[in-house]
Amino acid sequence: MSEDYNDNKTIHAQSSETMGGGSAGVTPDMDYVRPAEIADQDLYHGHSFITKWIFCQDAKVIGVQYFLLATFTGVVGLILSWLMRLQLGFPGAAGFVTAEHYYQFVTMHGMIMVVYFLTALFLGGFGNYLIPLMVGARDMVFPYLNMVSFWSFFVAVAVLMASFFVPGGPTGAGWTLYPPQTILEGTPGSGAGILLMCLSLILFVAGFTMGGLNYLITVLQARTRGMTLMRMPLTVWGIFTATVLAMLAFPALLVGALMMSLDKVLGTSFFMPTILKAGEVLEYGGGSPILFQHLFWFFGHPEVYIVALPAFGIISDLISVHARKNIFGYRMMVWAIVGIGALSFFVWAHHMYVSGMNPWFGFFFATTTLIIAVPTAMKVYNWILTLWRGNIRMNTVMLWCLGFIVTFVNGGITGIFLGNVSVDVPLSDTYFVVAHFHMVMGIAPLMVIMGAIYHWFPLVAGRFLSEKLGKWHFWLTFLGAYSIYFPMHYLGFIGVPRRYYEMYDSPYVTSAVGMNEFISLAAFLVGAAQFILIYNIIKTLKTGKPAGKNPWKANSLEWLTPTVPPEHGNWGDRLPVVHRWPYDFSVPGAKDDYITQTTPPSEVSNTGVEKT
Amino acid sequence: MSDTDKKEQTSTHKIGIYLWIWGLLFVLSFFSYMVDWYQFQGMLRWSLILFFMFLKAGLIMAFFMHLFWERYALVNVLLWPMTAIACFIFLMVAEFKYTLFTRLFYFFVGG
Amino acid sequence: MSEPKIEGIELKPGFKGMAEDTGSDQTMFKGVHWGKAMMWIFLLSDTFIFSCFLIAYMKGRGSTPVEWPNPSEVFALDAFGVPVPLLLIAIMTFVLITSSGTMALAVKYGYEKNRKMCGWLVLATAIGGLTFVGMQAFEWSKLIHEGVRPWENPFGAPQFGSFFFMITGFHGTHVSIGVIFLFIYAYKVFAGHYDQQKRGWFTSMKGDYVEIEILGLYWHFVDLVWVFIFAFFYLW
Repeated sequence: MSEDYNDNKTIHAQSSETMGGGSAGVTPDMDYVRPAEIADQDLYHGHSFITKWIFCQDAKVIGVQYFLLATFTGVVGLILSWLMRLQLGFPGAAGFVTAEHYYQFVTMHGMIMVVYFLTALFLGGFGNYLIPLMVGARDMVFPYLNMVSFWSFFVAVAVLMASFFVPGGPTGAGWTLYPPQTILEGTPGSGAGILLMCLSLILFVAGFTMGGLNYLITVLQARTRGMTLMRMPLTVWGIFTATVLAMLAFPALLVGALMMSLDKVLGTSFFMPTILKAGEVLEYGGGSPILFQHLFWFFGHPEVYIVALPAFGIISDLISVHARKNIFGYRMMVWAIVGIGALSFFVWAHHMYVSGMNPWFGFFFATTTLIIAVPTAMKVYNWILTLWRGNIRMNTVMLWCLGFIVTFVNGGITGIFLGNVSVDVPLSDTYFVVAHFHMVMGIAPLMVIMGAIYHWFPLVAGRFLSEKLGKWHFWLTFLGAYSIYFPMHYLGFIGVPRRYYEMYDSPYVTSAVGMNEFISLAAFLVGAAQFILIYNIIKTLKTGKPAGKNPWKANSLEWLTPTVPPEHGNWGDRLPVVHRWPYDFSVPGAKDDYITQTTPPSEVSNTGVEKT
Repeated sequence: MSDTDKKEQTSTHKIGIYLWIWGLLFVLSFFSYMVDWYQFQGMLRWSLILFFMFLKAGLIMAFFMHLFWERYALVNVLLWPMTAIACFIFLMVAEFKYTLFTRLFYFFVGG
Repeated sequence: MSEPKIEGIELKPGFKGMAEDTGSDQTMFKGVHWGKAMMWIFLLSDTFIFSCFLIAYMKGRGSTPVEWPNPSEVFALDAFGVPVPLLLIAIMTFVLITSSGTMALAVKYGYEKNRKMCGWLVLATAIGGLTFVGMQAFEWSKLIHEGVRPWENPFGAPQFGSFFFMITGFHGTHVSIGVIFLFIYAYKVFAGHYDQQKRGWFTSMKGDYVEIEILGLYWHFVDLVWVFIFAFFYLW
């Protein structure tokens, strides 16, 4: 294989026959790694139940805490979506879903799923668990702050859930919370509901900032010896870049939420124009509703990538491990993640084409939106090329990966429709938009989460999840989700508007009604299928097949801890030393089909491994 | 940080540089106050305000916050994200002009 | 604060150094304490918060067809019977820059492990900050007395009061938090916590004079924000 590689990039790729033995290419300084420049971390070890499991400073426990709480809010969001689909598919079947309740469910479903479920799960859950393990740190750099971060999130969720029980109920203004109708009487939850929503968001942002600082500084300043940025698994790159976006985008949300609360409580008019209500002029006047939209989407668009980038990173690792092949174009993948992250701050107003903003903006934002599709498409090609001629294991994890690629491409292509102003104008506020964003940022990241659960559960719990149940779970979810969202594109094309409580006797009711019933039935099925996973986890914790060390034969550091599951401090006495990237799979000439990141070059000197 | 680093950090900059910057900040603040005192208007006022503002901000960041002495890795990480803010400002200037135009048009001309 | 030295690596200056730092293992910001890196990133995030506030203010002020109050008249103060424009604001700026200077010196003496000087300078900074907050309270009460409210004011566009109270209030909150921490850190310096590497009460991490620099970064940032508020609120 040596001819395939450029000589100065290859560490002695001669075969063992010609060089007489495995150690032929070994030179004395081959395994040199710079000495440690950071002192070993000083950790607080909990002793009591409370300091070990509740107010715990161990990033792994905090990760699991984030995971469980985010899953809980996700289940709430799922139940809300069931109620919405019940009303849409079978109007009036559940009497208690009135128009007001419907709008409240829409709003809470959107906000919960985007912010409190996906963001918290990817960054708080996977980020906390995986970052320190994958970069070879003992813990997050500020464990105490990390703990406070989780408990702020806990309070934020509690405040959010409390809004279901206040007079007037939760806010029903749509998850974008557009003023002026958000805080005007007549909108459900315009009193305590919206205030609790704003408060909860502010708490979430504050808590997330503490966590985000941890993730960033851990990645930038606490990597182990030999771990360069370009040797990090793409999971870490995705979560890292998403955290950068979050640190810079959440401020806009914070400012918007604060100004909205002031409009509500103090009667300021930041966002409130002069309004006539029942012939009477309200006290508000002179504000700019479009300002809120700009602030919201300056946060909102990066937020899409806050969810998508960790998914991109995780899926790259899962595909590489289970196709037994190095990720195609690692550097391109990294630059694509960084490029998408940077560009995401320049595309926000493509959500506002029909809002009445400066009409020239459409040109600017359509251009940037189409540019951002380029790195995204590069990533999709690279995933497919990673699979190409790989030694693919068709297990549950790989199924979720393939499901992700399909749903993501589907959602991405509809995104190109919506990114163009002239196509967006007739399609905006129809079910086409609903189908697009559920495909690209609902189902696709969910596929990644599921794949990641099946992949890393053996690490967290030390046991395999049941493959049989996993395959049922996958096929029901994948086919079901397609049955939900594919027909929605059609509904959008025939002009069914989103956010309508009922279609009544509108002209498209005849062709849409059967389809709505079908979509609702599929939605009930997909929702129910998720409980297979919960059953699987509970069952596996007791009776699952023990996984042992490195069950997937992966390369990255999280599988190389001295104990499985890893303990507080992760690495026992000595930190690992990294010699290569985590994607040395199926290297020609190597003994196994994988070479872990900690394997020094002298041990694999007779293989065709590239220097990374 | 390790103990070796702490020993390195004991050598610091001379006190003179801080006093100079401190004095300069007072002088610049005085100048920007004078912009209002003499009631300059129009582009002159704007350019003076922005000039003194950025000069003061730059001095504080460069010397009081030690950015001048930091390595480029940190400096670049901190300054590049400001392009997003610059874009936001630029677009919002276009936006407020348009909003003002529509308001004047529909409230006064059209109405 | 001299150039950091890392064993086994030659640190180059400029962009070449940046490329090598970024490509190296372990740390990207060579020789930068974790807490200091965290404070920088936090301040970057906080910059975005204040930028959003000021952008919102620009958008609100620029798009209102109603007359915007003239700040140099609204914020004038009578000195010996003569109205002096922006007098109080000028004094507040003076106080804040003074406290910024003392903080910069405190950081310097902290690194020189000069406990007494560092402690006194941190305390002086705290008192400067407290004075600033006091003057801001005076300014607010004067405006409220004149009838300026977050939802209305007698001088023109109602958004004037809204943005004024919100942005100066948010800045004042930052100053107040800073003052609280300055007093705590002044105590910690005088008590010798950083010389003895005493463990912190909450985080149980060892104390170090670098904490003074971290607090200094925050305090200079508060001053920095005031430079922008001064330019955009009082001079525009």
